[in-house]
Amino acid sequence: MTTPAVEEYLAVSFRLQEEGAPLTVAALAQRLSLSHASVSLMVKRLVQEELLERCEGELRLTAEGERRAAEVVRRHRLAERFLFDVLGLAWDDVHDEAGRWEHVLSPAVEERLDGVTGHPDSCPHGHPIPGREAAVAVELHALSSLDAGERAVVVQVRREETSLLRYLASLGLLPGARVLVEQVAPFGGPLLVRLGSARYALGRDMAGQILVRKGAR
Amino acid sequence: MSSCHQEADDLQQLRRRQRRRWGQSHDGPVIALAGNPNVGKSTIFNHLTGLHVTTAHYPGTTVEVAIGSARLDGRVATVVDLPGSYGLGAASDDQLAARRALLETRPDIVIVILDASNLARNLYLTLELLDLGLPVVVALNLIDEAGRSGIQTNVKRLSEALGVPVIPTVAHRGQGVRALLAVALQEAASPDGAGNGRGRGHGLHHGRGGRRWQHRRGRQPPAPDYGVEVEAQADGSLAALEATKHEWAPEGLSARGLLLLLLERDEEMWALARGSPAGQEALQHVEALEQQLGRMLRQPPALVIAGARHGLAASIAANCQRRMPLGRRLRDQLWRYATATATGIPIALAVLAGLFAFLYYVGNFLSIQFDRLWSASASPVLDAVTRFLLPGQAADVLLWGIDAGINASLAVGIPYVLTFYFLLAVLEDTGYLNAVAFLSDSLMRRVGLHGQALVPLISGAGCNVPAVIGTRVLTSRRERLIASTLVVMTPCSARTAVIMGSAARFVGLAPAVAILGVATLLMAGTGIALNRLLPGRPGELIMEVFPPRRPPLRMIAVKTWFRFKDFVIRATPIVIVGSLVMGLLYETDAIWVFTRPLSPVVEGWLGLPAVAGLALVFGILRKELALQFLVALALIEYGGNVDNLRLFMDPRQIFVFALVTTIYFPCIATATVLGREVGWRSTGAIMALTIGLAVLVGGAANQVLLRV
Repeated sequence: MTTPAVEEYLAVSFRLQEEGAPLTVAALAQRLSLSHASVSLMVKRLVQEELLERCEGELRLTAEGERRAAEVVRRHRLAERFLFDVLGLAWDDVHDEAGRWEHVLSPAVEERLDGVTGHPDSCPHGHPIPGREAAVAVELHALSSLDAGERAVVVQVRREETSLLRYLASLGLLPGARVLVEQVAPFGGPLLVRLGSARYALGRDMAGQILVRKGAR
Repeated sequence: MSSCHQEADDLQQLRRRQRRRWGQSHDGPVIALAGNPNVGKSTIFNHLTGLHVTTAHYPGTTVEVAIGSARLDGRVATVVDLPGSYGLGAASDDQLAARRALLETRPDIVIVILDASNLARNLYLTLELLDLGLPVVVALNLIDEAGRSGIQTNVKRLSEALGVPVIPTVAHRGQGVRALLAVALQEAASPDGAGNGRGRGHGLHHGRGGRRWQHRRGRQPPAPDYGVEVEAQADGSLAALEATKHEWAPEGLSARGLLLLLLERDEEMWALARGSPAGQEALQHVEALEQQLGRMLRQPPALVIAGARHGLAASIAANCQRRMPLGRRLRDQLWRYATATATGIPIALAVLAGLFAFLYYVGNFLSIQFDRLWSASASPVLDAVTRFLLPGQAADVLLWGIDAGINASLAVGIPYVLTFYFLLAVLEDTGYLNAVAFLSDSLMRRVGLHGQALVPLISGAGCNVPAVIGTRVLTSRRERLIASTLVVMTPCSARTAVIMGSAARFVGLAPAVAILGVATLLMAGTGIALNRLLPGRPGELIMEVFPPRRPPLRMIAVKTWFRFKDFVIRATPIVIVGSLVMGLLYETDAIWVFTRPLSPVVEGWLGLPAVAGLALVFGILRKELALQFLVALALIEYGGNVDNLRLFMDPRQIFVFALVTTIYFPCIATATVLGREVGWRSTGAIMALTIGLAVLVGGAANQVLLRV
């Protein structure tokens, strides 16, 4: 039996993996706003149930874990689509609301939601809905994975907080912006990114949230 | 949740304050200065106002807003220096403070200062201001710099594109500042400035005819199209906002400006609108519009607006500027050296060592000179006057306050704080701090901070007081809390003086270094622990890195002076009161009452003589006093000549005394600023933590040393 708590852990792990961020107890604790101690207890349980596995100091979803996580995330993103398209909730409210729906939808309801929203590919924030990935036309990379000297075009910002998006927008870091990675500090340090005639230092985590297409155009 | 209520309360007060406080406190028209960080805004402010400046604090932010007055040919205007920000969203402290100050002061004209060498990004803020319906004059600054980088701007074309006057300036030489003020005053005075009143006088490039955007009556500036206006017009949202805005919105904003803010999901505006029935009605329109736009554009309208605004800014910049390719400049080269790992880290270490040495040697030198001067001139005068006016013991107590107290405040303030502020201003204004922040980021992340927190930590080695104030550069409360805790644990120059005067002198250099090592380990441990225990995530670095610049000395002097004045005004009263209380306790012998409850800890656990416990209590006033008091109290207790600590303490005791002095809470002045910066509850917790650590570590050292 998968409890809502387990589902929440799996979904967060799924999103972290999707973002290419390290999946660790610390990262889970941060995302879930829980204490380190309680997260590591739960993680131990999930490892025992073979939903998570340990691998080179990090955690990883097992095949079974990933399957179950994808179900939760799919319900979440379908619910978001429905709340946004059909019920007309504001786009920055749907995430929290869908967080409650994702644990209670039955397969039949999930099926109907999919139909009512017209079999969407992505949630209102642009994230793919698992189980229906359209072939991705361009390969997206996290800005943090680029080397010094590489050029790229910003495609999407992963994090969904409006205030962060607005802040980045006021700096010009929004979809379509052309950037050049000038330097990458060692030991997981920040990136120095050139945008027009401005240079920004972006922490590695921050840069991991910005998805880009490699190349100058 | 409580922060939400707090915010709602703040909002309720906003409009009241808009009328009340501001109503009587200014002369003439109000000019607000807006601009991105580091575009020379403060330089223009200083040129406009001279040194007669006050500062204002805005609720919910740590950013201060400076207010001064400018004069031109007998006319007076009030100038408000908004904090430098990239935009006007409520996304960060600086943007929030800039916006609140704008709404509250309701300027008659906003001067936007642009960096000509980075026009596209700078125009974003300009467009946001125009979008809100505010009257704007543009100062195109740093045209000399831009010219050296091969960038030429067509001022006339820029003025036409924006529909507002544009005045080129070179702020650090004062060029164009007078013309800027003249145009701003003229624009502020003409109630229909954007209409037919335009184009007269000064031969400046006003947007006359040929304007690309729809012509509006009144002084409203032109409004561009972001692809959401047509729908807003059609579905009645704009009309609803226009009809209801006087009932809920801050005064002075256009309906279109409000619409954009609401579509951008601006929390403050949403909260204001929800607060009144008329606002709620308008919100229903906006929400429906948001839905419709979201479906149509397949993107949140907020992003669409931001994108359109940027696109417009970029196209204006491209139309108005020409770039000539130039070779790589020396300063770019310098930058590369400062930020590349191989060269940057040695440079940073050298600069930090230099900073520390400068603070240590120059600070100590000034401190000794000051003490000498004070005891030779001020002390005897104060002493004579007080004793003439008051009977014996009362005079003694009062002298503690005015003589020892003022001396203590200035003896820390002038040598260490002033020196530090000077160095800080130099490092800031040259842009070097950015390079250090970039390099140290990965190290700082371990303790839940980012690169920008390094500066306050380093400055803590000089004096904790300005260092705690320096933590304001950090954006979240979590970061400020961690950083100030670590700052308080950094051995400041006063504590280093105690270590040198006791452990190093009477026990040896190695134990002295060991004490500094223990302090460093405790800081690292505390930082890592706080990062794990405090809720929330560590701050993320998003920082513009500026090319190095040679700052004008005048600017550095002004900056240093303002910060120093602020420190003296804040710290002095507390130190004086603290000294008076200590004096009262001491002169009435009440201080000895403390020996008994402290004795199990001091004598039993720490293994120190009882007088040392009292000296530790006195150390709260000013850390180097701990040592001076130890000697003075020992004189009373043991009599005779005991200025040699070894006569009544063995090496173990001296070591433990210096260790405890180094770890526990620095001083009253630090407590005061800490209380203001992070709140009194957190300050209490930090005090308890450091005192607890000091007793724990000091006792452990004592027990270990007893056994070896």
